[in-house]
Amino acid sequence: MAAAKDKDREKTLLYVPGEGWLHRLNPLTRLTGLGLVAVAAFALPPAATIVIALVATLMGTVAGAGAVFLRRLTLTLGPLALALFVVHGMLMDHPNRFGFLGLDLSHDGLMYMVKILGRIAALLSGSLVFVTTTHPSALLKALDSHGFPPGVSYLIASPLLLLEPFTQRARAIREAQMARGLDLEGSFFARIRAFPALLLPLVTLALADIDHRAQVLDGRGFRARPRRTVLDAPKDSPRQRLARRVMLGLAPLLIVGAFFWH
Amino acid sequence: MALIEIDNLHFSWTPGGPGVLAGISLQIAAGERIAILGANASGKSTLAQWIAGWLPTAAATAETGGLTVQGKAYGDHDAASRPGLAQFTGQVPMQQLSGFAFTVFDEIAFGPGNLGLPEAEIRARISDAIRICNLEALKDRDPFSLSGGEQQRLSIAAALAMQPEILVLDEPTSNFDPESRDALLDQIERLPAGLTIVLADASLTTALRLAARFVLLDAGRIIFDGAAAALLAHPRTAEIFGLPEIRLAAEYLQSAGLWPAGVPMPQSTGAAISVLRPLLAASGVSQ
Amino acid sequence: MSAPILDLRGAGFGYVSNARVLSNISFAIHPGEVVALVGRNGAGKSTMLRLLNGLLRPQEGQVLVQGADSAGMKVAEISRHIGTVFQAPEQQIFNASVESEIAFGPARMGLTPEEERARISDAADRCGLTEVMATHPLDLDAARRRFVALASVLACTPALILLDEAQRGLDRENRDRLGRIIRDESAQGRAVLLVCHDMDFVAAHAARVLALAEGHLIADLPVADFFADAAATRRASVEQPGIVELSLASLGEVALNARAYADRAAERLRKGKP
Repeated sequence: MAAAKDKDREKTLLYVPGEGWLHRLNPLTRLTGLGLVAVAAFALPPAATIVIALVATLMGTVAGAGAVFLRRLTLTLGPLALALFVVHGMLMDHPNRFGFLGLDLSHDGLMYMVKILGRIAALLSGSLVFVTTTHPSALLKALDSHGFPPGVSYLIASPLLLLEPFTQRARAIREAQMARGLDLEGSFFARIRAFPALLLPLVTLALADIDHRAQVLDGRGFRARPRRTVLDAPKDSPRQRLARRVMLGLAPLLIVGAFFWH
Repeated sequence: MALIEIDNLHFSWTPGGPGVLAGISLQIAAGERIAILGANASGKSTLAQWIAGWLPTAAATAETGGLTVQGKAYGDHDAASRPGLAQFTGQVPMQQLSGFAFTVFDEIAFGPGNLGLPEAEIRARISDAIRICNLEALKDRDPFSLSGGEQQRLSIAAALAMQPEILVLDEPTSNFDPESRDALLDQIERLPAGLTIVLADASLTTALRLAARFVLLDAGRIIFDGAAAALLAHPRTAEIFGLPEIRLAAEYLQSAGLWPAGVPMPQSTGAAISVLRPLLAASGVSQ
Repeated sequence: MSAPILDLRGAGFGYVSNARVLSNISFAIHPGEVVALVGRNGAGKSTMLRLLNGLLRPQEGQVLVQGADSAGMKVAEISRHIGTVFQAPEQQIFNASVESEIAFGPARMGLTPEEERARISDAADRCGLTEVMATHPLDLDAARRRFVALASVLACTPALILLDEAQRGLDRENRDRLGRIIRDESAQGRAVLLVCHDMDFVAAHAARVLALAEGHLIADLPVADFFADAAATRRASVEQPGIVELSLASLGEVALNARAYADRAAERLRKGKP
């Protein structure tokens, strides 16, 4: 059962273990790449964003995360495409209309749909490449070993780790209050009235936890020194450092380029 | 100089509120194993927090008196050396986890890493802690998926990796069933001999197993400080913890003139059986 | 015998994608009974507790509450007959004073103001809380917090109270207080079920033991017979109380407390004397 719990966390993380070159890259390189993709998704024309999305999806599939990509992309882009098609392609008053299979469509509206879809697809597939190949603990170690302040990595780690205990406690409080007669199965108003009985213990306990955890962190020397020693830090290389600098240099160029483009 | 010196400490959680510690004076030498015992709300948990350096805080300070460790108040030691003085393990295992580590190994590495120690030393400390707390099989597991007993072992291991002078345990087994409790007590018994252990507990059984010196708190005051035999003979001990039924049975028989003269009152079930079985067998009216 | 408060008929439960956690459980609890539910961690005690207070419904068999099938009742309805004191009182406390916390249940029972006040002050008195009625419950020590949770259940006078490890961590005075409350409930024709690892407490307060092992009810016996049953205590992973061990070893029968043991032993010793 405990092992099953470990699995649950893996599932919520979307991380897919692997040994390929993408997995072996330093997490900061992938993070910089993701940043560049985000900039490019807004700066480049639709054709380029679609290429980015396709390349990212191909990379993810090669890295072994094809199933995650298929599921997430379909779930997000499918409904979005339908909505954009109906709203911008048919309903809204865009010019250049034409008839197709009995539908009254707008060429400009459809181009707008492609533009939005391309951006979202590039952003989403770029993020998926990052999260499916980067375990948060590797990201933490990479940040720490590159001298980022420990507070930054704590902000990334603690929500991921503490969400589940928090959910468990919310469930326990709900059960305890139901068992003492609080009606959570009744009308909407009955549930509204019951809300404080659920929320107050949760908040009180969370505050007590934060207080306690602050003491635990002090006791373990958190932030006692400006830099931590990191064990098993992800490998880095001069070529990756160069690649990151190039990507960081490209981003402002893309932004400036976008002004001329649009 | 004692490792910990507490001098006439008066403390309450809110200024002018009810006194929780009412004039505690206590010295603890390096390497001692000492139990702080008392009824519910007698102040033992508060005293444990003082000894571990969790008190005073900005909002809760001593009314009079105070505590020094190695001759200085905790606040006068620098932030990087305090973790090496005292470590604290409380009642709720999950609260002791840092919320920073995705594996047991990383949870133990967290503290020494914060101190910026050399990698080789951190690895040595981790492997010691893993061995002492028997965590080898769990070292790649998610800390939040462990059972309460396993989490408590992890929290002790993470404390040991800071190489503290003092380990303070506040009712470490109070939330466990007998099996996990016994396993954890076995573990605590095997901690390094030089480590000073301060145990705050409401259970006489746990304390008798782990400690050599016993401090009995009553309404924020120390009313006894000494060894096991004297503790058990102290009148307040029976009132606070209740005597085991076997001891009461022996006392009933003694008051009826049926307990053999010169034989001490039994402290354990085994002792009671070794006295009463032959006695009843000899009475002839046996089963 | 009077009608049972709770009646389980072949009840079973399993979580999704898991083997049965509880299988084919049948027993009844009658007014005035004090019953202990024992078994090692993972034997199914917490699932059983949830079946009894309606947080879970059986997937096979039936759970009858005061004669009615719990399948058709809301948790809030069941809670009028069956009260639960959980292990962590912090999870159910949310009012700003001990008094309003205890008043939470009675306030929704349609009582007259006098009745309501009487219930609250009676519950507070039995739980030793009269002097801290205005205090915030979370400012109290852990033991008294537990009694706040208990008082808030007592004030609703349910026919059956489920106590989940309520004795844990209590000193002698508070254990005695809890013991008195259990005896009083039983004397007033209400029932108590103790989920309890502490066999000294079981020996002192329960009359009957239900033992769970791997999701099955392996024993349903009067407490003395249960402790005398070596196979059942072993399967349930239960430590015999010292006094039971002593009495079995020296008298060959079970005595549940010091007084009972000393009386039997004294009788034999006096008879045996020349």
